[in-house]
Amino acid sequence: MWANVLRANVGKVLIEMRRYLPNTVSLVITFYVIFLAMFLGITVVGDPEAADTNVRFLLVGNAVWFLLLVGINSIGWEITTEATRGTLEQLHMSPVSPRWILLARLVGHIGAHLVIVVLMLTASMATVGTWLAVDLPLIVAVLLPMLLGVTGLAFAVAGLAIVYKQIQAMLQVSQFVFLGMAFVPLSVAPWLELAPIVKGVDMLRASLVHGVGFADLGAADWLSLVANGAAYFALGLLAYGAAERRAIARGLLGRY
Amino acid sequence: MPGASATPTALCVDDLRKAYPRRGREPLLAVDGVGFAAEPGQVVGLLGPNGAGKTTTIKMVCGLVRPDAGTIEVCGVDARRRPRDATRRLAAVLEGNRNLYWRLTARENLLYFMGNRGRSPRAVAPAADALLERFDLADKRDALVADLSRGMQQKLAIAVAVLAGTQVLLLDEPTLGLDVQTGDEVRRLVRELAADGRTVLLSSHDMAVVQDVCERVVVIAHGRLVADERVETLMRLFATRAYDARLGAPLTPAQAADLRRAFPLVSVSDDGLHVRVDLERGDDVYRFIDVLRRERTPMESLDRVAVRFEEVFRHLVNGDGPARGAWPADAAGAVREEVSRVG
Repeated sequence: MWANVLRANVGKVLIEMRRYLPNTVSLVITFYVIFLAMFLGITVVGDPEAADTNVRFLLVGNAVWFLLLVGINSIGWEITTEATRGTLEQLHMSPVSPRWILLARLVGHIGAHLVIVVLMLTASMATVGTWLAVDLPLIVAVLLPMLLGVTGLAFAVAGLAIVYKQIQAMLQVSQFVFLGMAFVPLSVAPWLELAPIVKGVDMLRASLVHGVGFADLGAADWLSLVANGAAYFALGLLAYGAAERRAIARGLLGRY
Repeated sequence: MPGASATPTALCVDDLRKAYPRRGREPLLAVDGVGFAAEPGQVVGLLGPNGAGKTTTIKMVCGLVRPDAGTIEVCGVDARRRPRDATRRLAAVLEGNRNLYWRLTARENLLYFMGNRGRSPRAVAPAADALLERFDLADKRDALVADLSRGMQQKLAIAVAVLAGTQVLLLDEPTLGLDVQTGDEVRRLVRELAADGRTVLLSSHDMAVVQDVCERVVVIAHGRLVADERVETLMRLFATRAYDARLGAPLTPAQAADLRRAFPLVSVSDDGLHVRVDLERGDDVYRFIDVLRRERTPMESLDRVAVRFEEVFRHLVNGDGPARGAWPADAAGAVREEVSRVG
């Protein structure tokens, strides 16, 4: 049953990405242009001594920022659109819990955009002529708990969208919060380890920019990463559940 | 009421209540003690003026709004305790063509929604194609929903609900905004669904549709149940005893005056050739004919005035009894009493 729900939703995400191709392409181009602008900033006004590290830093940050935006915000936009269309109610009339449907959508969204991120990152690296040290097993090991946290945040955003609908302003502002999460290193603000995703981004950066391997990361790092991802996933689910209950109690699932 | 019979009723709603909280004001009582049941193969109309509580009732049945009190059973499953099990047994078209993904094709929509019900596309594809054929949408199977006409979108939304294969179908305004031909097609489809043994709860403002396809109607006004009767029973209940007489010669002023004295509800046309008269008692017809016979006025025809369902509905929601008096507080009970009195 779950496999069919997953297949249906991943298929829908892919079909819609193809049908809204200009939208998908313009999103990628926008991020690429932002990357180029930042790269130009680093090379023209930045410290030439630190340019190489900064470019690597930028490559990782930009890719993570893109992933956070499409992973978290896209579900918020989608929920508000579905509430307007009337399809949100249909999803809630399925014998399969809407949480599973939403999770399947998120898997589709994040999976498809991970592929785009890899392509974009490759294009960015080729453009600037700087290649990151890719330790694939380590990256996958870091990404999984990190994406769990991303999913939790996406659930929370979906919950807000179900209840309040008009969250566009919040979604727009949140891109700058994600920007901070993607670019601010823990060495600058250690307390951000408690924030969602930041620990994962920091570990990704350590691996991709500084070539840190499995052996260099301690148990505390992994524990913090997994606990962070699990905690934010659980919190997101709880928030979504509370929002859904409120929406059903007040009849807010329909169009507005 | 729920669970009273051995074979579970397809849909059984009892004493439903819902009040929406409002900031700084009294909660809005949307539904107050509504109850009804629907059997397999029945099309039941859910009627009421705007704001009567129809949509809230339907949404409570679908599990989209939580009732404050009352019970809902779908094929014997308590929808409040086991909402997912209940949704396995019902499907709904709530906002017509808005229930679809406009950037997916007709066929993709069918398969997507079934996927969300846990069905594999391979298993459901033959049934989806057959339904597209049955709904006259076969040549549009690969067309984007955005490119379909409103009528086609509406039919597709119904097809999605039908494909779910549930016993109970809830259709909210299925003919709204459709042209006559597509509206007729939708009516035909609803009748076919009932013939297949499905239970259809249909909400509509189109009284012609209701009269045409519904076996029974549940009428709600101000959140309360006003009537739950067979359409024909209500028609009989509200059938006037008014008759239209077409005369071969005009009435004399003296005849007209006599008629007005004898019958409180009488109207005579200006040319004196048409009379509408309310013949309430059995012997009224003889008294009417006596007045005509006095001047040897020939009568060409005498036809009972047909009541329209729209008028019946209006009387019900306005709180008028068949005798033009106001219903008591328990309107549904009063209608039932009146029905048993009229027989």
